[in-house]
Amino acid sequence: MCFKNLPVEFDSEGRPYLRDDVRDPYGTERSPDLNGGSISTLSRDQIEDLLARNGHIQQKNFDPVTRVAGALAFHSVVDLEERKVLESRSVATLFRGYEIIMMGRDPRDAIYITSRACGVCGGTHSGTAALATEMAIGIRPPPMGIVLRNMLSVLEYLLDLPLHLFMLAGPDFSENIIRKTNPEVWERATRTEAPHANVHGYGTMGELMTDMNALTGSLYLEALGMTRVAKEAYALIGGKFPHPQTMVPGGVSATVSISTMQEVYLRLQQFFDYAKKCAAIYDDICDFFYEVNPRYRDVGRTPANLIDLGVWDDPEAYDATYENCNEWGEKRWATPGVIVDGRLVTTKLQNINLGMEEFIDHSFYEEWEGQTFKTDPLGAPLSPYHPWNKETKPRPQAPNWREKYTWSTSPRWDRMPMDAECTARMWTTAAAQLMPENPYIEPTGHSLKLLLPAGRLPEMELEWKIPDVWNAFERNRGRAYCVAYTALVGLNTWHQGMELMKAGRTDVSAEYKVPKGQRLGVGFWGAGRGYVSHHMMLDDGVVTNYQIITPSTINASPRDPWGTPGMYEIAALNTPILENSPADKFQGIDIQRSIRSFDPCMPCTTHIHTDQGIVTREVNTCACGADD
Amino acid sequence: MTIHAPAGLGAPPDRVQAPEEGRRRVPEGPVKVVHAFWMAGMSCDGCSIAATGATNPKVEDLLAGIIPGLPKVVLHHPVLAEEVGEDFIHPFKLAEEGKLDAPYVCIYEGSIADERIAAEHGGYFSAMGMQAMEDSDEEEGGTPFSTAERMGRMAPGAAAVIAIGTCATWGGIPAAAGNPTGAMSLMDFLGKDYRSALGLPVINIPGCAPIGDNFTETVAAILLFLQGIGPLPEFDELGRPAWLFEETVHRGCTRAGYYEEGIFAENFGDKECLVEVGCWGPVVNCNIVSRGAQSHMGGCMAAGGPCIGCTMPGFPDKFAPFYTAPPGSAVSSTASRTLGFGIRRLRALSNHDRNREVRWDAVAGGEVPSGWGEIEKPGLLDKTMHFFYEKLQFSGNKRKPGRDDSRKYFADMPPRAEGMQAPRDADETAERG
Repeated sequence: MCFKNLPVEFDSEGRPYLRDDVRDPYGTERSPDLNGGSISTLSRDQIEDLLARNGHIQQKNFDPVTRVAGALAFHSVVDLEERKVLESRSVATLFRGYEIIMMGRDPRDAIYITSRACGVCGGTHSGTAALATEMAIGIRPPPMGIVLRNMLSVLEYLLDLPLHLFMLAGPDFSENIIRKTNPEVWERATRTEAPHANVHGYGTMGELMTDMNALTGSLYLEALGMTRVAKEAYALIGGKFPHPQTMVPGGVSATVSISTMQEVYLRLQQFFDYAKKCAAIYDDICDFFYEVNPRYRDVGRTPANLIDLGVWDDPEAYDATYENCNEWGEKRWATPGVIVDGRLVTTKLQNINLGMEEFIDHSFYEEWEGQTFKTDPLGAPLSPYHPWNKETKPRPQAPNWREKYTWSTSPRWDRMPMDAECTARMWTTAAAQLMPENPYIEPTGHSLKLLLPAGRLPEMELEWKIPDVWNAFERNRGRAYCVAYTALVGLNTWHQGMELMKAGRTDVSAEYKVPKGQRLGVGFWGAGRGYVSHHMMLDDGVVTNYQIITPSTINASPRDPWGTPGMYEIAALNTPILENSPADKFQGIDIQRSIRSFDPCMPCTTHIHTDQGIVTREVNTCACGADD
Repeated sequence: MTIHAPAGLGAPPDRVQAPEEGRRRVPEGPVKVVHAFWMAGMSCDGCSIAATGATNPKVEDLLAGIIPGLPKVVLHHPVLAEEVGEDFIHPFKLAEEGKLDAPYVCIYEGSIADERIAAEHGGYFSAMGMQAMEDSDEEEGGTPFSTAERMGRMAPGAAAVIAIGTCATWGGIPAAAGNPTGAMSLMDFLGKDYRSALGLPVINIPGCAPIGDNFTETVAAILLFLQGIGPLPEFDELGRPAWLFEETVHRGCTRAGYYEEGIFAENFGDKECLVEVGCWGPVVNCNIVSRGAQSHMGGCMAAGGPCIGCTMPGFPDKFAPFYTAPPGSAVSSTASRTLGFGIRRLRALSNHDRNREVRWDAVAGGEVPSGWGEIEKPGLLDKTMHFFYEKLQFSGNKRKPGRDDSRKYFADMPPRAEGMQAPRDADETAERG
């Protein structure tokens, strides 16, 4: 059924089992079938040979990539004559050891400790840790606790999305950058009318791009203001941001009154008009670039392999059990799912969990011994590389492109590289049509219809359509529409909260005791930028293994055991060099756009470090090694 | 009246003109431009996110130089900076070499790994990956160059070095028990003898994440002092801004009154004092409840979150396991329960009395004309207590409690018409008579 590469099949009742005719079922000798999405890469020897023989082939390092949360080092080899990328390597350069710090601790520490994995999506980590803890120790939060958690996630994404759209990725489409990299595009922008002027207020694309300038543009400053609005509402429930203080096992500890509900509502409401504006701006940007040069459709292009765990639980359905995860998962406001080559292959959380493996062949870790769990708690087969079996054994060592070069690992689903995205949750939700009935959001199978209430701008129905090409522009467009999607989930959530208040069902947490014996838990959730899971193992009330997978670990991953690159690497390899600046001023803007479109959030990847260097250094390399 | 504004704004020339030469202006101070170099070690970037939330002042207003008296701040930040590449790195080098044309401060976020551990294996925990590879032959690896090293070089020339967030101030979560990286704080890394160009040790603004306003306010306070406008900002023995961190968070807590009366939350979500569900507020230096987390909103205990001491050098291990009552609370909360039991009852009596208009007792015979519910008249015990209470309250005071007959101010006023509020007037006359 949903697996092509893992030898897992399903019986007549849909229960997964391991095929018994495969010797060494999880061996890594066979190369996986990548569904036509295979990526040809040159070997390191070929690259070094090319570099030695051709002056126009250059190593281009982005060290670190700027305007991403945290920082990311990216290495590429670019052929400036053929205008293409020959090699790309994504490097996470910081290790903090959160998974190791969790070992031997009380499980109740997980929420506050792992929150600190990321300073942008800390709330997501604390919430995901709460879900893992609840499953491991068996607590079902009351409905109001679930509704408030949902609201916290909504508010966190409403901070994250404007941050990405206008402060991190946005400047890539600003006058300041485009004038430098593509003067001809800027010239055309100044005389192109912006189709959605009636929504965003900009007459021409040039005027729009001027206001996208970093630090000075009014769209940049407005986004900064909107992140504060979201933070205010977040702090009213969470106490503070980015590491909330009210997330507890079994719910939340927030004291919520009518004041809280109204203060939150009046901040959420500000995003309805803003959402219309974000979608209008990014529609105009994407369509303008496609029109200027259709090859922009190849910038950051990857196979449409997307994965999401869904998010925003049904307060009456979520029971924190693994046994029922398929049922409560499908009742989320965002449907869990995996898209392979543009097609939805599963919406079951158990299948998504079974297909996940984490490889460390090119990462600064040592292999672990043995396999603790042959099956999941329902008896379905687990890979020895599954997070419940993985152990974190750091081994700092000299980086080497042929062997190990990053602190990030290589998570794969069904042995394929995946794109973890906030757009993934719109895609799976649109395609699956399982979303609970509600007045504002309607999945159609090929699109999501988003009905935004009237504010200063009139009522509008936006429609995000599943794109026919998956590239940097569509990632950004998806994020822009995700503002509307998220705000409308917030509206639904707020109404749920008010209904519970009317009914007097205001308990926000459940009591619990930490049980003895071996217990497994997993939190399936998502950050503003997508997929987050925490896998936990307890023995007599003590954490004996803790594994975190984040969207940027998935996207920033290095090559896997079969040499298939991670998604950033694939996106860069497919990117044509459309930049039109002199060779000595080459910025690599197209590569930068392709990587930034993923909204990289390196803090939780391994913990990358931001150095002084927003350095875009160009290195001419000779065959005998590197010098700069 | 002449409106002074820069010329060229398109307003009529007779109304808007450039100020005359030598005209008195808002005091500006000697510093026109300050560079701020933001570096991050083993961080989650949460401090950067917190700083962008600040409103007192806002980061973008500091950068724009639009606040009179405050110099324009040129921020060199990996996420916010406009420059890239060599343009960006150049000022760091100038500062390091002492060639920058303006004073600078360094801000450090995140803790610092003990790279000696990683170096034993030829690797690094926290470094610029590419640099590590290019410093020597690719297959051999190279020397990691960390922000901490950069910091070490820039620190002596900096006007001030500010550690932001609990990782940089005290090591934080990366330095928690069991950590493999030997993580430490900036003051541990720079050592006891470190002084900035102005003679200051490391300034510490803790919190995980810190309140954005605590950071920008401290920066602004230092700048205003340097301009000769503001008072000398005081720092405590650990380098924290004293006016922000001298009090325990409990003293400013919206729930501290519950503690005083011995009422404690039993479940998460309850509105009372959180000590018994794991709050360490009474022993933690922090101002998040009185200041709010964002734009004066939120704050851990205000929202219902028990304090886990995230501003403290002992965080996290001295506050774990979380969600359990601090052992010390067994003594202190028992004491406050005992004392609070009595105080609470006495207060309830006074509160009950003060929920009554004077007129209701003086004129209406104790009856409350509320349509919302039946309110009991004060009993004999209440009346006796309040008789003595009022004696105490007004002893030595000319004004006596009670209510005079308003009509006495109007000597020629005819007696009230029969029927209109007659029963109550009768009461009043009777009582006052």
